[in-house]
Amino acid sequence: MPIVSPTRQPARPRPGRSSPAKGAPPSGGPATSRRRPEFTARRALTIAAFMAPAALFVALFTYYPMIAGSQMAFRNWKLTDLTDTSWVGLKNFRDVFADPAWSTVLGNTAVWVVASIVPQLVIGFALALWLRRKFRFRGLYQALVFFPWAVSGFLIGILFRWLFNSEFGVVNDLLQKTGLSDEPIAWLADPHTAMGAVIVANIWYGVTFFTIMILAALQSIPDELYEAAALDGAGKARTLFQITIPYIRTTLALTVLLRIIWIFNFPDLIFGMTGGGPDNQTHIVTTWMIRITQQGDYGRASAIGLLIVASLLVFAAFFLLATREKKGARP
Amino acid sequence: MRRRTAALALGTAAAMVLTSCSAMSGGDGGTVTVTMVESLTNPTRTDLLKDLIADFEKKNPKIKVKLISPPTEQADQKLQQMLQSGTGVDVLEVRDITVGPWSTNGWLYDMKKDLKGWDGKQAMTENAVKASEDAKGRTYFLPYGFYGLSLFYRTDLIKQAGFSKPPATWKELLKQASAIHDPAKRRYGYAFRGGENANSNVTAAISAYVADEIDPDNGFRLKDGGSIFSAPAAQDAVDTYFQLFKKASPKSSVSWAYPEMVEGFSNGSTAFLLQDPEVIATVRESKAIGEDQWSTAPLVRGPSGKTVQPLATAGWGVADSSGHKAEAVKLVKFLSQGAASTTFTKKNSLVPILKSANDDKFYKTGPWSSYLKMTEQPEKYQVVTQPRGVPWWTEWGKKADADVQKVLLGKMTPKELLAEWDAYWTEKWAKEK
Repeated sequence: MPIVSPTRQPARPRPGRSSPAKGAPPSGGPATSRRRPEFTARRALTIAAFMAPAALFVALFTYYPMIAGSQMAFRNWKLTDLTDTSWVGLKNFRDVFADPAWSTVLGNTAVWVVASIVPQLVIGFALALWLRRKFRFRGLYQALVFFPWAVSGFLIGILFRWLFNSEFGVVNDLLQKTGLSDEPIAWLADPHTAMGAVIVANIWYGVTFFTIMILAALQSIPDELYEAAALDGAGKARTLFQITIPYIRTTLALTVLLRIIWIFNFPDLIFGMTGGGPDNQTHIVTTWMIRITQQGDYGRASAIGLLIVASLLVFAAFFLLATREKKGARP
Repeated sequence: MRRRTAALALGTAAAMVLTSCSAMSGGDGGTVTVTMVESLTNPTRTDLLKDLIADFEKKNPKIKVKLISPPTEQADQKLQQMLQSGTGVDVLEVRDITVGPWSTNGWLYDMKKDLKGWDGKQAMTENAVKASEDAKGRTYFLPYGFYGLSLFYRTDLIKQAGFSKPPATWKELLKQASAIHDPAKRRYGYAFRGGENANSNVTAAISAYVADEIDPDNGFRLKDGGSIFSAPAAQDAVDTYFQLFKKASPKSSVSWAYPEMVEGFSNGSTAFLLQDPEVIATVRESKAIGEDQWSTAPLVRGPSGKTVQPLATAGWGVADSSGHKAEAVKLVKFLSQGAASTTFTKKNSLVPILKSANDDKFYKTGPWSSYLKMTEQPEKYQVVTQPRGVPWWTEWGKKADADVQKVLLGKMTPKELLAEWDAYWTEKWAKEK
């Protein structure tokens, strides 16, 4: 789980605002009396030694397999016959692009990411704002809201597969009982509704992460700012857009970035729900890669994997650059 | 102090790396530990296997068996990794769809020599002996049982609709299922397979229609060398089969796979279901329909009165990298004969591998009797071997499933589907030569 104690996520103290953030070390205070230790070779060694376990682990179990595996993308690497794993250059990449389903898969991926992230952000934000207020059983309620995040995506896929089942599912049952629909909707069987159904499941699943991250950031906004705003007569909307959002901008940007990458890399739910069907209409790039793996063609699957890594790296760099510029442009 | 912390950190790092890399070691004091990995894992079956293993260990006090049960979705991939790395597995579950690639890669041990003169083989049915050998006569696994199709049907619903007997042919199935089908009342005729593995039932229908011309050694081929999809009768077969979807199945069955099909039948809403015998146990547990409301009938036949039973199978094999081959083979033999095999097939609802099952009361009564009926009439219910061991089998399954969904969604005609499938296999076979 890549969340590093989210409740303690420190917010960046904003320059130009007088009130210091809670918990942040006051500048120029007694903190300066602590002598900064001299940087020696021995100290460097100690630091290196402490970093070594993690670095070694990551190198051994992440980077090494990644690099060793990436060469498969340029080889004829089929599990069904490993007696010939010769170098084939870019053939696997050509095969990926030549597949008539590839453009569908790319389009699906775009829809999947965009249509999932926007509602997740909006609902997650709203929930976080609401949870920030104190009310009875808030702790319990928070725990309940965060619960879905602890459940495996595949399991959630299977649950939603039954919820959306046309004949025996709860969703259609409710729609018919409330009179919103006359006949059962074949959610997962119709190419138009199937993508909608998996996205709904994904929104439900991902809202939680936004709530956790945004709530943590919200709790670091000093109350004084709101008090001052209230004294100056700022309305709710103005407070939201001029205090809350600017203050947690960094967290928001990073969370959105992380989530885009994760949603992109989140085949579990789709696999549990539709397996990419009907007629490949819910396949995204990562489920497609797994499908190719299941066929035993590790060469072509690795080619897709490399394409994913490359496009996500470019995207992350671009995104970070764009958000940083915004920050610099702020008065 | 600092030096000590640095040393400590380095030491921890080394320890972590070492522990994670250390390989599992064998037993001591003369006992041998055999690691066994299963693939089609489910909790009940794992318990059953553990019981059987306990019996084996009692009889062979010098052999310990360690059973590893990965979740079934990832099991074959895990096994592949183990086999590729050449460690950690002695006995393993081999399926008809994995035996081809795994033996090509040299991962499986040919047990032929070890089985010479073994009395267990004489006790096996002809099908079992056939399944245990590949085209070159090598034995990479001993089958533990077979999965075969039969027709689950609702005795009460067909009576209400005015039929005295369950359908014997695909045409009759279409007629009866359409008569019962009434979506407004949430009653459906047929549990259509449109999702994962949808292609298998299309092939079953086609095979039934070409039963007179089919090559028993390659269920996708006609005796004259063409593919079964090119036969004129295949068009009739797919037309009838897809009518079942239009006239007698719930709309959403485009995405129905095993769980939905079985649920549809056992919750009482669907009248007909084509499935493996393992479903008998599930339906028996149903609270919606009682024992007197359902039964099974033999697999429906084609216009010639014949049909083709594509038996799917799996069994136990030995890894080529195993350091304890003698002990591993001993375990495989133990599981494949006598009481151990009978218990396994009965409790796991499989078509048995032993001849003695024909005299077993268990298979003569209730839903099981239709399987016996089928084995007693091999002329009508022909057994063919499908080319499930070819390297492109999974690729084929995924492609064919997508094509079936295209037909169901109206993006492809049944005729185009046949042409596409014929072209696929003809091309693959041509390349193979």
